[in-house]
Amino acid sequence: MRVLAIDTALGACSACVAERGAPAAISTETMVMERGHAEALLPLLERVMAHAPGGFGAIDRVVVTVGPGSFTGLRIGISAARAIGLALKVPVVGVTSLSALLSPIVATAGDRVAVAAIDARHGQVFIQAVAPGGRVVVPARLATAREAARLLGSGNIMIAGSGAGLLAAEAWSVGVNATVAPDALFPDPLWVARLGALADPATALPKPYYLRAPDAKPQEGGALPRA
Amino acid sequence: MRVLGIETTCDETAAAVVETDGAGRPIIRSSEVLSQIAAHAAYGGVVPEIAARAHVEAVDHMVARALERAGVELSDIDGFAAAAGPGLIGGVMIGLTTAKALSLVTGKPLIAVNHLEGHALTPRLIEQVQFPYLLLLASGGHTQLIAVRGVGDYVRLGTTIDDAIGEAFDKVAKMLGLPYPGGPQVEREAKKGNPERFHLPRPMQGRPVADFSLSGLKTAVRQEAQKILPLRASDVSDLCASFQAAVVDVVADRTRVALRGFRDIAGHPTALVVAGGVAANMAIRRGLERLAAEAGVRLVAPPLALCTDNGAIIAWAGLERLRMGIQDDLTVAARPRWPLDASKDTRAGAKA
Repeated sequence: MRVLAIDTALGACSACVAERGAPAAISTETMVMERGHAEALLPLLERVMAHAPGGFGAIDRVVVTVGPGSFTGLRIGISAARAIGLALKVPVVGVTSLSALLSPIVATAGDRVAVAAIDARHGQVFIQAVAPGGRVVVPARLATAREAARLLGSGNIMIAGSGAGLLAAEAWSVGVNATVAPDALFPDPLWVARLGALADPATALPKPYYLRAPDAKPQEGGALPRA
Repeated sequence: MRVLGIETTCDETAAAVVETDGAGRPIIRSSEVLSQIAAHAAYGGVVPEIAARAHVEAVDHMVARALERAGVELSDIDGFAAAAGPGLIGGVMIGLTTAKALSLVTGKPLIAVNHLEGHALTPRLIEQVQFPYLLLLASGGHTQLIAVRGVGDYVRLGTTIDDAIGEAFDKVAKMLGLPYPGGPQVEREAKKGNPERFHLPRPMQGRPVADFSLSGLKTAVRQEAQKILPLRASDVSDLCASFQAAVVDVVADRTRVALRGFRDIAGHPTALVVAGGVAANMAIRRGLERLAAEAGVRLVAPPLALCTDNGAIIAWAGLERLRMGIQDDLTVAARPRWPLDASKDTRAGAKA
């Protein structure tokens, strides 16, 4: 199965083409950026596909990171992925950015708890953590860095993601030995492809996974009093 | 030539397939519109983040449905048009990204359409009106008078310096406790009311430039209402009728000024065209009919489904551009503000 993976949920615009189970991508490109994904993604996809023999016609599945992350960023990736899926008549699956960050460090974490932490601003992080052996310690959620450190307990931890520094500082302050995983600020598109190749299209839907409600309050009042 | 058009600039997720026959006459093969009104009603207006969340879940389904209804495959499409602004940027990016992806996979051209151009070229979609004509575009987000001289050749003669007309209707409805969207509610109440009971201003009346200002009128409605609290049902109807009568006068006066300005730059218009959701208001329509008769021009009012936001007008504008050889590349950016007439970019308070 050949997969096209797309990630625009966090601080990068990336895509790769990979065969399921292959150790390396056929074609891949990552541009580090905080904003500008909307303008960068399609030209990047054009380049990535140009280096993949068979082009779009050889793609069996499209994978996209669905968040949590930048609301705008993840919607760009999802819109593109769903449109490509529509055009190619192939399944589109979603992978959370937390699991895409977690998977590569699980192997290197050893006896430590592997943690993905994405900076959610205002001192908060999107967090997910798994213990050695795969038991979920903290399911995906939004928490303050302090709450997150408390949820992780007292064992040694290894953290990936843009919120790693923030969470590590909190962990250290309560005496937990925390390591920040190197080069793990945003998902590696090859890991997005790997997870997507294994996902079940019936359940891993390409829908945004915001983990945060829209900042809008229903309006009441404002109307003049009626007799 | 056959173009797929995508519209996501406000609170409708829409897609359509429009083509031309051998003689270049337009045919709307399909036009699918999903309105988000219910999702925004509790907030009393369109919430950008809620709109964007709805667009991303729906736009690919609308494209699929538009193709299916048209009975065509993606490979039968000659170009992909999306409204690239002006509008709520989160939604605009979703529609534009969708069109870019379809263009990349199929290798067919991308056309980034100005949403306002979609409205501006609608009369040519329904009855092949010839250039030049005067367009009054009036909706919840836009209020502009535009001389349409050709595809891509627009001169804005007037715009609102504060609220759009539809926005003023919605705000008046809200202060009077009428449900959202308020335009049709105000019109319904106005039918029962006395338009002469309250003396409301006609802002900008007689000014030589065809700009609008609605915010003072809205404030005047509030002040009149506050004098007679609490409001009885008949008070609400009378306030609505008086407000609507003032808007009808303002629209006629501003459009009359624009017609005068039009002659200086483009000669005699082939028609006066009204588009945008406000064109659904029958009192405003009648006012424009009177004005058109007085000025010796024809009034063209597209059917309501083409006045409000939809994919067909975007597909058509895309088709008009594409057959002139105009297309865009994959780097084109969505634009929250995008005046049709670039020379008027900097006017204070001018929306879009």
